[in-house]
Amino acid sequence: MSPAEARLNPIASRSSQRILFPRRLRRTCFHLIQRVNMKLTLALSLVLLVFLCQNVGGKKSHKPADLDDNEFAEFEDFDDEGAEQEATVEEEADFPSESDDIVKTQAKKDDDNEEEEDEGVVENDDDEFEHFTDEDEFEGFDKESRPGKGKSHEVPDLKIAKVPIHLRTNWDSFYLEMLMLAGLGVYFLNFLAGKTKNGKLAQAWMSSHRSILEENFAIIGDDGLSKEAKGTGVFNKESENVYTLWCSGRTCVEGMLVELRLLKRQDLINVMTTIMKPASDQIIVKVTMDASSMDKFCFCIGQKKVMAKLLKEQPDLGQFTEKKAVENYNLPESFQLQSEIGEATSIVLDKKVCAYLEKYEQQIEYIHISDQYSGAKSQYDENQSKMPDVRPSLVFCFNVPGKGKTKTSDVDGMLPLMKLVFYCVDKVGRLALSKEKRLKAEKNRAKAAEGYLKAAHSQLQEAAQLRREEKRRLAKEKIMNEEDPEKARKWEERESKRDMKKKQAKTKMMKVKGM
Amino acid sequence: MSNAATNDVKRPNKIHRYKPKDSSAPGDDPTPDYMNLLGMIFSMCGLMMKLKWCAWCAVYCSFISFANSRASEDTKQTLSSFMLSISAVVMSYLQNPQPMTPPWQ
Repeated sequence: MSPAEARLNPIASRSSQRILFPRRLRRTCFHLIQRVNMKLTLALSLVLLVFLCQNVGGKKSHKPADLDDNEFAEFEDFDDEGAEQEATVEEEADFPSESDDIVKTQAKKDDDNEEEEDEGVVENDDDEFEHFTDEDEFEGFDKESRPGKGKSHEVPDLKIAKVPIHLRTNWDSFYLEMLMLAGLGVYFLNFLAGKTKNGKLAQAWMSSHRSILEENFAIIGDDGLSKEAKGTGVFNKESENVYTLWCSGRTCVEGMLVELRLLKRQDLINVMTTIMKPASDQIIVKVTMDASSMDKFCFCIGQKKVMAKLLKEQPDLGQFTEKKAVENYNLPESFQLQSEIGEATSIVLDKKVCAYLEKYEQQIEYIHISDQYSGAKSQYDENQSKMPDVRPSLVFCFNVPGKGKTKTSDVDGMLPLMKLVFYCVDKVGRLALSKEKRLKAEKNRAKAAEGYLKAAHSQLQEAAQLRREEKRRLAKEKIMNEEDPEKARKWEERESKRDMKKKQAKTKMMKVKGM
Repeated sequence: MSNAATNDVKRPNKIHRYKPKDSSAPGDDPTPDYMNLLGMIFSMCGLMMKLKWCAWCAVYCSFISFANSRASEDTKQTLSSFMLSISAVVMSYLQNPQPMTPPWQ
């Protein structure tokens, strides 16, 4: 209002004054308000900015550590780890109970989801927890970022491949099978090695002894199967460690069987036994004499350990021979002498033979010369009632030096012993006992034969007795089964009469004898 | 030794044929027969009771029997024993492919 108008209108002028005065105030107030407004707006905008930032940051990072700072923390998205959530539940004890329940149920839900995922099946969320997924219910709750649901979308269907059972376990777990196979492999390799070694030893013996054999025999090596008696010149392989050679066609001799009883190098168990208890390869020479070529006597000399066994096994040694002193012949103490006729023994054990025995003490196992040689007694036939088949024979058993670790050169060293064999054969063929010694020998043999006859007779008697008993038993059984008492009584009467007669006959015989 | 008369020693007209030892009589060494029997028993045990170690023992027994066998013996029996033990091992592993566990475990 202008001043002129104010004079005309005093009220208006007063109001205008009033207006003037507050105008200044208004202006200042306006300015103040403006300033305050600006500040307020600034502050509000700052708050909003912070709030927005927090919201955005909450989406990106899943740190439950912000729980304390943000009042919206309880509605924040958590990681899937149920353990983590449980840990956070335990840690944040000052949470309102509502938020605890929410966290727990969320954790449980995630756990359920995890279990379901292990089975390879994805199930929908439970309906009872649907209100937790309502966006309207909670501020700042982001339905899209729920871990359970998100996870179920990400994890594909798990298909457990069917691995075969035998490939699941490691090859290392089959160590026992590997051991077994290795053992078999070792056994087989040893078999091959032992077989080859034995073969080589036999070959070496053959090559070194061929000349002496050819000098003495018409045929060397006969398997007995071929039509013609042709000398093969090679061993017969009885087994991987036993080789035999039959030679024939010589004076006084029916034939000679050379048996190479080598160690069982092809059997690993035997090899290990030999390592613990050393043994030697043996050469057994058995010369079968012609029936008329040899005088009747029995003789054996050998290592003490072997003699005990021979005495048990060889019936002729047990029947005819007696132990004699070795000192009489100046022989080593390790030998034991069994002899029937001393004259024959002294003829056989001449200087040359004694020299051989002394020189090759370790190599000569035994020398058995007998006209009643029948071979080893069978263990099963204890009561020998029948006289065994006897042939006049000379048996030589030699040990190959080396005690198992034999080389082919050791086998060559057996040649002098083969010469000893032929020497003894010739000597025994020429041997002639004096008359009385011969009679003594014959008497011994007759006694032995009688003994066999008696044994046979007693066996027959026993058999007859048994048969009689059996008959009586059967008859008695028959009578017992008989129902008719009359018949039974009659039979019993007959039996008693028979017994009486027998007794009378015996007493009669006794009386006659006494007279 | 009578070197001069060595030629007189040979008698080609007095040749006697070799008579092979009676194989039916029990020999000196019963090992192959025992091992054969043992191998068969182990094979049957391994097959019936599904015991792997029995089957393996059967293989070993038949191997030992083969190594100690005499030439005069029938190879068919040794071979059949061997095949039986192999079949026992194979059957035990087919039925139960798990590795063998030692008895002390």
